[in-house]
Amino acid sequence: MKNVDMPLLKQVANNLMFDMKDSEYITLLEEFDVIIRQMELISQIPGVDEVSPMTFPFDVTTDYLREDIPTTPVPQEIALKNAGHVVDGQIRLPKVVG
Amino acid sequence: MEYLSLDILSLHQAILEGKITPLELVKQSLEKAKNDQNNAFEYICEKEALEAVNRLDPNKQNNLLWGIPYALKDNFSTKDIPTCASSNILRGYTPIFSSEVYLRLTEQGAILIGKATLDELAMGGTGMTGHKGLTYNPWDPSHKHMVGGSSCGSAAAVASGIVPFAIGSDTGDSVRKPASYAALVGMKPTWGRISRFGLFPFAPSLDHVAFFTRNVMDSAIVLEALSGRDEKDSSSSTVAVEKYSQSISAHLNGKKFAVIKEIYDSINNRNIIASFDKTIETLKQQGARVDFVSMDLKLCKAIYPTYIVISCSEATSNNANLDGIKFGPRFDGKDYEEVMTKARTEGFCEMIKRRFVIGSYSLFKENQAEVFLRAQKVRRLIVDATNNILKDYDVIYLPAAPSTAPLFQGEKGDKLSNEYLISDNHLAIGNFAGLPSIVLPLGFDKGLPFGVNLTGKRFAESEVLSLAKGIENITQLKDLVAKEGK
Amino acid sequence: MNFEAVIGLEIHVEMNTKSKMFSNAPICYGKLPNTLTVPLDLAFPGTMPVVNKQAVINAIRICNALNMTIDRELWFDRKNYFYSDLPKGYQITQQQRPIGSDGKLEINTSLGKRTISIERLHLEEDTCKQLHSWDCTLLDYNRAGIPLVEIVSRPDLRSGEEARQYVEKIRSIVTFLDVSTGKMEEGSLRCDVNISLRPVGAKKLGTKVEIKNLNSFANIEKAVDYEIKRQEKVLLSGGAVTQETRRFDEGLKQTILMRLKTDAVDYKYFVEPNIPPIKLSEDFIKNAIDTSPELAEVKLARYQNLGLNDYDSQMLISNKKTCVYFDEAIKSGASAKLLANWIIVDVQSILNKEMIDIDQFKVSPRNLGKLVLMIEKQQVSNKQGREIFQKLIEKDEDPEIVKKIIGADLVSDGDLIGQAVKEIIDSNPQAIIDYQNGKDRAVGFLVGQVMKKMAGKANPAIVNKLVVEELQRR
Repeated sequence: MKNVDMPLLKQVANNLMFDMKDSEYITLLEEFDVIIRQMELISQIPGVDEVSPMTFPFDVTTDYLREDIPTTPVPQEIALKNAGHVVDGQIRLPKVVG
Repeated sequence: MEYLSLDILSLHQAILEGKITPLELVKQSLEKAKNDQNNAFEYICEKEALEAVNRLDPNKQNNLLWGIPYALKDNFSTKDIPTCASSNILRGYTPIFSSEVYLRLTEQGAILIGKATLDELAMGGTGMTGHKGLTYNPWDPSHKHMVGGSSCGSAAAVASGIVPFAIGSDTGDSVRKPASYAALVGMKPTWGRISRFGLFPFAPSLDHVAFFTRNVMDSAIVLEALSGRDEKDSSSSTVAVEKYSQSISAHLNGKKFAVIKEIYDSINNRNIIASFDKTIETLKQQGARVDFVSMDLKLCKAIYPTYIVISCSEATSNNANLDGIKFGPRFDGKDYEEVMTKARTEGFCEMIKRRFVIGSYSLFKENQAEVFLRAQKVRRLIVDATNNILKDYDVIYLPAAPSTAPLFQGEKGDKLSNEYLISDNHLAIGNFAGLPSIVLPLGFDKGLPFGVNLTGKRFAESEVLSLAKGIENITQLKDLVAKEGK
Repeated sequence: MNFEAVIGLEIHVEMNTKSKMFSNAPICYGKLPNTLTVPLDLAFPGTMPVVNKQAVINAIRICNALNMTIDRELWFDRKNYFYSDLPKGYQITQQQRPIGSDGKLEINTSLGKRTISIERLHLEEDTCKQLHSWDCTLLDYNRAGIPLVEIVSRPDLRSGEEARQYVEKIRSIVTFLDVSTGKMEEGSLRCDVNISLRPVGAKKLGTKVEIKNLNSFANIEKAVDYEIKRQEKVLLSGGAVTQETRRFDEGLKQTILMRLKTDAVDYKYFVEPNIPPIKLSEDFIKNAIDTSPELAEVKLARYQNLGLNDYDSQMLISNKKTCVYFDEAIKSGASAKLLANWIIVDVQSILNKEMIDIDQFKVSPRNLGKLVLMIEKQQVSNKQGREIFQKLIEKDEDPEIVKKIIGADLVSDGDLIGQAVKEIIDSNPQAIIDYQNGKDRAVGFLVGQVMKKMAGKANPAIVNKLVVEELQRR
């Protein structure tokens, strides 16, 4: 497990596109302490690495596939009505470089 | 006559007999909603509800939910009705499409009177993190005790008699725990039984549409109204929907209940244990078999960390679409990163951000094997152990929670104690395994309610409801409404 | 020191299904921005992906054409990152279990045939379109969610020519399977190149450079060839190649640095929990393959069986739309060779002049086929045939009708012509004598007279034949 320290937490938060107050990073550090110990509990469970990871609650394999039939699209004004900054029927962002 | 405190069948009957009209009923409900003291509502749909009553199709009045008001947790999309999941990041968002649950209820004539508060983005269990502040427990007029979460508003709305039923969502226990704290019946069916289309996702592999009522029969009615395949939700099940309201039989003779000893032992509240034990005696007297079975203590202790890792990881990804660009408050910045960062910094509460960081960390390439994937492996072990027990028993039977509703200002408690790890989180087993799970009132301790939990085999909703009805007959606790100032 | 280039290609193919990969929004081109979306495409909370059957069928068909192993279960993953053109903050893709794996493709190069190994083929979705202006970027979600297939080759390619041949072959496959328009210049086929050099015989790979934003097959070849030389120069001078992303400048004919490649981004892949695994039955897969449109090689073989030579067949299969046209036109019964010629020469010159593709050509294949058959059967002369063709270009209709309009009904009736022949010969006794004296131009003269008498409507070949026969009788 990657070592958890303040700089790492800040980096993770920034990669998730937000900032937190310094006090919150401290709270988070404490929470991580607990979590990491809890994860250690998990690693001690006998046979844990002999099973495969489970994504779904049970076998939900299906054979359903959607027919390729287009629907009526949403009118432009409706699609964009919740967007804060619209220009010429498009959502405007500061110039994206790179 | 307090119609809104009636059970659904009686209310339906009253409507058919003309004793009360849907319009009168809805107006009463709206009035109560406006006077709600518990912060149960994000938005009261007065205009929309009155229009909906006008549009009611008299040909459909045989529908059990026809003309009946209800509340919907504000993480369900409702077209043209503001929906913000109690989060600032979605302030002002008005969806352009509706959730399947809302569509089905509308089609059957039920009337939405309000969007209920929740813990922000459904990620919480206290009812404290919604952006409008605390949601209170109607059973404590002094407002010192929580009603739990994340479906706090839905619970408060039903418990305080504003509506006979309310829809919530249950990812770890978010309907069933508040049900225990509010003397309600909280049901979470099998994963995929009810379409999640339009439900804001917290952790899709654990998310379930769930609901509150005040008695078991009402749960059966609501379950029937909502269940069934929806092609818009790839995970929704094609298993046939039974007529649950007609298939409930409260016979307990020959039924087999399994009490998981390790979970039972982790509960220290004597009143709860005493009430629970008493029901066991009565069950046996009625011919049921009740055995104490074992689940590896290590697995029981692993429930909470497994839940935290899986739910935070999925949640981090699910909420990456909230960036203020397509919807939600928009901020300016020198580049798109700044635009997104400002929106997400301002819009999410701190607890949510911390959960996201935990989730992101769990998914790191270097950590995945040890953290996320291992949690998924433990999930499999827990699920296998649970299903193993259910091979020989009809339901797993346990107290729903280790205590009555906690105080807002309560002690945090040792996060690594059995009490915290096991007893407070065991309901998550029902989410890991996607099994139908119900909580109903068991008793009162110092004026605050506590509940009992039954979890059954997948798609065995009829069985679970039947056994729950049997318990309800034993406790005689149903249709409980918290009175103001009582 | 001799170096060999180690080249791998990542190709993204945009599918031309009617609806998107996970949403049922329509796909069309040239529409106003944000008019082809449904809530899922803008990532509104609560929307959910539902897999498009045709996209899966298309992927199966491509896997089959590339000799790939096809996974019997469809699993999807989330690729998590933030970017302006990514509405959900993640892309649904297939990381752990691509639908196709371990394939191969044979290409023809100037140095002979080569077999290129293909590592994987998977389904994913496109991002939204960004229109960059001088002070802002505008987002158009019409493209968001369009199905993409990503095909990743093993680093088996060794030269610019091979790279180009590989991509052209992939394009042929996807266009002939009707999966995509395969146009690099329009972005429906995108190619990224990864290229490194190592000493000949060495096992270890050199530092990889990525070349992106290539917009034509020719540029792929040029970019790769330039990059090989550039890296060679660097290595021979004792330097080291840096890991970077470059683009190809058409004007300078050079690869230019775009950015240095930092450590690989961690996309935190995990299984998409909203899409349960989808079972692909043997029947489903077999049916998708059996009902597959013909690949170019199959058509090539078929055309050669019809008697077309190598040049003509290659010309036809260079463009799937041409084959479609040809296959429809030949139903008229016209000879393959003649029809092919008309298409490759006459039709193509019109297409070139008007800068259109054959599916925009005014004359329907049915009518062209009919016309060619008419000419073949000598129901009209070559000259009359061309006249009819020009008329069809103005108005596409049944050539029989046009034939009547221009009065091109050739008389082929032997008796009728014979009658006229007798009369003409009777009135030209000198011609008989000339013919008997070995003066063959008498025949031409008589034929001309008969044609004049029949107002040019007689079938000249028959006239000629009957004149000679009649002369021989005299």
